[in-house]
Amino acid sequence: MTNKIDWLFFIKQITSISKNTYKESIRSKIFYILMAFAVLILGFAVILSFLTIGSQKRIILDLGLAGISFFSVMTSIFVGIGLIYVEIEKKTIYNVLSKPMPRSLFIIGRYFGMMAVLGTNLLAMLLILTVLLAIFKGFTLMVFYAGFFIYMELAVITAIAIFFSSVASPVLSAICTLAFYLIGHTSSTFPEILVPLLHNQFEKKVAIALFHLLPDLSMLNVCNLITYEIPIAQGFTIRAIIYTFSYVLVLLVAACLIFRKRDLV
Amino acid sequence: MKEAAISIRNLKKSFKGHLSIGRIEALRGVDLNVPSSGIYGFIGPNGAGKTTTLKIITGLIFPDEGEVKIFGKPNSEFTARSNIGFLPESPYFYDYLTGEELVFFFGSLFKIPKKELKERTVSLLELVGLKGKEKLPLRKYSKGMLQRVGLAQALISDPELLILDEPMSGLDPIGRREIRDLILKLKKEGKTIFFSSHILADAEMICDEVGIIVKGKIVERGKLETLLGKEVRFWDISFRGAQVPLELSQKTVVSHEDLTMIRVDSEEEVETALLLLQSNKSKILSVIPHKASLEEIFLSSVEEGKNDKQN
Ligand SMILES: Nc1ncnc2c1ncn2[C@@H]1O[C@H](COP(=O)(O)OP(=O)(O)O)[C@@H](O)[C@H]1O
Ligand SMILES: [Mg+2]
Repeated sequence: MTNKIDWLFFIKQITSISKNTYKESIRSKIFYILMAFAVLILGFAVILSFLTIGSQKRIILDLGLAGISFFSVMTSIFVGIGLIYVEIEKKTIYNVLSKPMPRSLFIIGRYFGMMAVLGTNLLAMLLILTVLLAIFKGFTLMVFYAGFFIYMELAVITAIAIFFSSVASPVLSAICTLAFYLIGHTSSTFPEILVPLLHNQFEKKVAIALFHLLPDLSMLNVCNLITYEIPIAQGFTIRAIIYTFSYVLVLLVAACLIFRKRDLV
Repeated sequence: MKEAAISIRNLKKSFKGHLSIGRIEALRGVDLNVPSSGIYGFIGPNGAGKTTTLKIITGLIFPDEGEVKIFGKPNSEFTARSNIGFLPESPYFYDYLTGEELVFFFGSLFKIPKKELKERTVSLLELVGLKGKEKLPLRKYSKGMLQRVGLAQALISDPELLILDEPMSGLDPIGRREIRDLILKLKKEGKTIFFSSHILADAEMICDEVGIIVKGKIVERGKLETLLGKEVRFWDISFRGAQVPLELSQKTVVSHEDLTMIRVDSEEEVETALLLLQSNKSKILSVIPHKASLEEIFLSSVEEGKNDKQN
């Protein structure tokens, strides 16, 4: 009975932290700067579509999605790495964590707040892209399907960023998160390239197991499939959702565990 | 007897030294008992370990050794913090929030119904004297206003115990007095206040009990009246008489016409002086014991602390 009430209370606390995180972002400049860049890219996509031969709407769709994805990821990394660190640095964290709330809820709340920010941001950009496409007679709801995958990628990257943010300085976090992002987009090719180089069967097994620990963001990438109208395999979406969910869960749990006993000096 | 608001046993904490060389022993076995009523001053010079102690109490850092209980509950349980309000040292708050939003936000981390929380936010901001400023973002607040909004958020859950880290530091005399009056008012409302300070005057004026910490160790503790009453430093005896007895002339502080004041250092001396004066037919006007001020106790404790360190 008391347990149940506490769970509700925890959710309330997480919501409070999230709301505050959301407020923080939408009242900060960096958010709008990155947003402006994304809009610029969309404009650029339109201009470019006039200059190139071929399907105009395809170029807008292709460049638009790539631009949106890129700038969302950048927002996620550069705001994400500060989520915990900045609170410690600015000493604003003292007051929050002196409240009757387990520390892990702070991390989870910050995470969901950031995801809400990214969601709003993404939705706004997707709407602009949709309108642009409609103008060029290329309206497609697939934009939102792609958006959903971009959002899953953001979920993983933000979790990576917040994980590093709770243990390392922003610069180190940024480097590590960027590295994870790049590895994430190439890791699916590692086994094909590297495994044949190994001779011993055991080594191969270990290598493959290690590859599975790396994020595989190609699993969350449908932009190409959509722009080239490649049919999307059955189960692709489900697999991506499960993958995202597990990856985020593991990272958040790890971040919470590390953060639990950390001295906030 | 009621349970202690805070009880601390043998608290030890060390930090990595500068450039990770050696270790700084910030707390070297602190014992403290804060009773569940009144105002307790946690006094000590800069760097004595006050903030470190308060951060351990509120669960922000973890001790190497020792234990802390808040109303009998180990502070490692986060629920132990549900009955405290905390004001960190020179509080840093989200400067993108308004005063009102800030107090509401911190309140929302407690089990307070929304409607009540809204009402409390308004009345607390009024209590701390920020009425009319509640819609202003904190980045436009002065140091004193931040301190006050900090007090308001510490009070939002109507806690029995308030823990304030240097609540008066960095304020001008008027600001200090306002905070002091506020603390006294809260005491009247039945709250326990545990505050740290390196400024004695503030403590002397409002504390019921003090603990003095020097170099990570409690060197003196107890009720302010007993601490101050413990050591009478000297007595001033004033009398009216034509002649000052020879034995006392050495001790004369002032003498004007037939009025004289002498100063003696012990009770025995008081007695002999009085006997001499009586036999001399002088008229005794007053015998005033001068007790140590908190400052003197403090300074002598700091001296002892230094000697202790050298040994
Ligand atoms: N994070 C830290 N790293 C290293 N030394 C610290 C740290 N925090 C406090 N100290 C040291 O511990 C001692 C006590 O500090 P503190 O508790 O802040 O004192 P006070 O609040 O009484 O002024 C000081 O010598 C201080 O330099
Ligand atoms: Mg201090």
